[in-house]
Amino acid sequence: MSVVALSTAAPPPILELDKLEISFPLEGGRILRAVAGVDLTLARGETLALVGESGCGKTTLGRAVVGLYPPTAGSIRFHGQSGGTTARRAIQMIFQDPYGSLNPRLPIGEVIAEPLKIHRIGSRAERRERARELIQQVGLPVDALNRYPHQFSGGQRQRIAIARALAPEPEIIVADEPLSALDVSIQSQILNLMAALKESRGLAYLFISHDLAAVHHIADRVAVMYLGRIVELGRRDALFARPSHPYTQALIQAIPRIGQGKRRRGRAIAGDVPSPLAPPPGCAFHPRCPKAQEICRVERPVLASPAGRPDHAAACHFAD
Amino acid sequence: MTDLAIHDPVAASEPLPQAARSVWSLRWRRLRANRVAMGGLVLLIILMIFSFSAPLVGWALGVDPNHTDLLARFDGASAEHWLGTDDAGRDVMLRLMVGGRISLLVGFTGALSSALVGTVIGLVAGYYRGRIDSVLMRVTDGVIALPLLPLLIVFAAIDLKKLGFSDAFMRSGDANFYRIVVIITLVQWTTVARLVRAATLSLLSREYVLAAQAQGASARHILLTHILPNAVSPIIVATTLAVGQIILFESVLSFLGLGILPPTPSWGNMLNNAQELVTAAPVLAFYPGALIFATVIAVNFFGDGLQNAFDPRSGTE
Amino acid sequence: MTRFIIRRLGEALIVLAVMSFVVYGLINLMPGDPLDLMIASNPGWTAADITKLRAIYGLDQPMVVRYWHWLTAALQGDFGYSRVFTLPVTRVMGPALLQTTKLMGLAFLCTLLVSLGFGIAASLKPGSRLDRLINFIAFAGISLPVFWLALLLIFVFAVWLGWLPASGMGTIGGGGGFFDSLKYLVLPVITLSLSQIGNLTRFTRASMIETMRMDYIRTARAKGAGPARVVWRHALRNALIPVVTVLALNFGSLFSGALITETMFGQRGMGKMIYDAVLGNDFNLALIGLLFASLLTLVATILADIAYAVLDPRISLS
Repeated sequence: MSVVALSTAAPPPILELDKLEISFPLEGGRILRAVAGVDLTLARGETLALVGESGCGKTTLGRAVVGLYPPTAGSIRFHGQSGGTTARRAIQMIFQDPYGSLNPRLPIGEVIAEPLKIHRIGSRAERRERARELIQQVGLPVDALNRYPHQFSGGQRQRIAIARALAPEPEIIVADEPLSALDVSIQSQILNLMAALKESRGLAYLFISHDLAAVHHIADRVAVMYLGRIVELGRRDALFARPSHPYTQALIQAIPRIGQGKRRRGRAIAGDVPSPLAPPPGCAFHPRCPKAQEICRVERPVLASPAGRPDHAAACHFAD
Repeated sequence: MTDLAIHDPVAASEPLPQAARSVWSLRWRRLRANRVAMGGLVLLIILMIFSFSAPLVGWALGVDPNHTDLLARFDGASAEHWLGTDDAGRDVMLRLMVGGRISLLVGFTGALSSALVGTVIGLVAGYYRGRIDSVLMRVTDGVIALPLLPLLIVFAAIDLKKLGFSDAFMRSGDANFYRIVVIITLVQWTTVARLVRAATLSLLSREYVLAAQAQGASARHILLTHILPNAVSPIIVATTLAVGQIILFESVLSFLGLGILPPTPSWGNMLNNAQELVTAAPVLAFYPGALIFATVIAVNFFGDGLQNAFDPRSGTE
Repeated sequence: MTRFIIRRLGEALIVLAVMSFVVYGLINLMPGDPLDLMIASNPGWTAADITKLRAIYGLDQPMVVRYWHWLTAALQGDFGYSRVFTLPVTRVMGPALLQTTKLMGLAFLCTLLVSLGFGIAASLKPGSRLDRLINFIAFAGISLPVFWLALLLIFVFAVWLGWLPASGMGTIGGGGGFFDSLKYLVLPVITLSLSQIGNLTRFTRASMIETMRMDYIRTARAKGAGPARVVWRHALRNALIPVVTVLALNFGSLFSGALITETMFGQRGMGKMIYDAVLGNDFNLALIGLLFASLLTLVATILADIAYAVLDPRISLS
């Protein structure tokens, strides 16, 4: 089950991913294992960041949590149950592309109230009222409700998407790269909005991103994915200060920091991410790993706590 | 749960843009600028007024289009008969007007019904994919690949009594009309079906559709709220252009004696009439065909303009 | 490539098989039945006689059984008897097919030449006066009812000017020879050709413009190739690809046009044959005629796919 326990007094997790696999059949009989065995938990009000490069499977994982992909193996349990309509309502998603995530034909009021309509919550008047509340809570004026998506900027649309996600009063929001398509100056605004909403509503986030700086700002725990598996999992401060897995170490080294000099650059990661269709044997990272040894080619390391770090986990034979 | 309004760090810093023009008014402006398309529209409106005012004009002039007068055959233009009379002494102009009404009605009704059938099939094929899509597409390709006129002729020749329709129904003028609309729909739905299927497939990967699917939205909700409204433009263009195509089909069938049957006039069957009279009264062959031509070309110009207004990249200009 | 052809042919056969069943059903819905002529000319027969006759001809069996009988016979080459022409179907179809091939072939050539010429000329300077004129002509072409065009041409050239015959395939009494029959083909070919020119011109023009817009043309021009060379070598070859497919895919419309043309000009081709068969309740002939026309159209579609694949190496056949 869960590898990393929070403090013993912590309440039970509301979301549990147990040996989750998501695979897609391709033409020619090949199979793409986007998610190749993931164990994760999410507690109430917690922000778990899921980081990794393109193609590591984090988007697929996020979509599976929201119910868009059925598990090929393993399970996704919300409050102990798989599937069911409660999960559909209580787990919401914010997408990466603010331009594609709103139906251009619907006025904003209907966009925001749509989840309520689908779940048959409230009457029409009540839904309209709720949309009014929500639009203000995301920092937009009420007369935005009658306008159409194309009249708004990217950042504003993302706010609308957030309002839509908040409509059915969810417990978990899966945010799939919510900042990547936005201007840098707007990113911090949206991030702050998300942080404030988390505080006031006790929301849990599954925050998917490749932007470690944003992750550092908002996450409680961080999980690092590589080719469909979690390679490191731990509390934010611990992971950033003392990354255990070589991949994480390289990612953190690569974060641009103003005023850093060449000293702290560290080693860049050699090579490109292998295709998920043909992952390397043993540890999937070994072709690019500066620490790779013979055992890494042969035996895939499991996620385990490195010596002396019970609250942390890494999948490496030579974890720090 | 009423919530505390979130303050400062969260309010959007950018002002809300002024209510910009909606997508539709942009398109309308592009259309307006296209003089040829506007010309087509005007011509079409004139023809519609011409055709649908038949009862009024007939009453005003005191002329009945079905009234035969064998003593007044092939008369030239006169005060009573503005375009003269035909081989049975009937007023040509009024017959043209009534015929126009029938032809236009067949055109519009046929276009709408084939758009309806095509849309449903396209939506189902695109949304459910898999086996259903495969089968539907084979059928669509099969129908497209056939020579339409021979098929229409066979359809038109069917004896409806063998299908169980009563004799009384068969004799009514309406039966004729519906029969034509049905058989034309049977061959005309394919264009819209293909367009709608393509649009559906492309729209299904949009994130707002995914958002609705993640909620567990029903197929009906997704198709009606998200897919259909965003697929409307190609449907509108295709349906408009279909009107011209259908009018041509109807006139061919009527010309061959299989469409609208006399004594109900239609531009097509008036030409059939005129065929034998090419030597005696060639004018009778000219008018109906010219009107068909004018209508279809007007529809085509307008439809082409619509297409450009909706999607300026579809470069015919 | 052969696998592709075989697969497409296989699919076409399936479509044809399904079609044959559907058309058989449709034809059976035509007024009357194969016996009514006989019944009409033998008023002395009693109801019992007719029932016995029906049994002999198998007309009392359910449609599916009759279809099966027809299918097995047809696959052995027995297409039945045409009652309109009082000849076996095969004897009627042969000459009709030949006549239609002549008509469609000649019209096809004329259309090709004119459309390519117009289309290319229009595409060289999009938006110019010439372009707009050609565009207008093309629009007129696709909006023109074929039978009206035929009437007009008949009036002008046969009735008024008297240069060409109004209908028929050759001077009555025979002995006209080759040029005589050619004279009778002029108006039909012109009619059919004109009806197809509009569509093909528009398509050629659009295809050429699309190709010329592409970067590699600009590269060729930048390299100093003169405009003629650019047009001929690069643009034309690539623009022809979609044009070829359209030609083949428009086979159905060409055939439909041929049907009208033959009927109007009294040419005894396949189109007129189908028309006469349907109107004359000639079940066998109508059935075979329609199926054959469909077969031809399907084959044309397959040829289009093959041509497309051959001309454009980027298209894979899988």
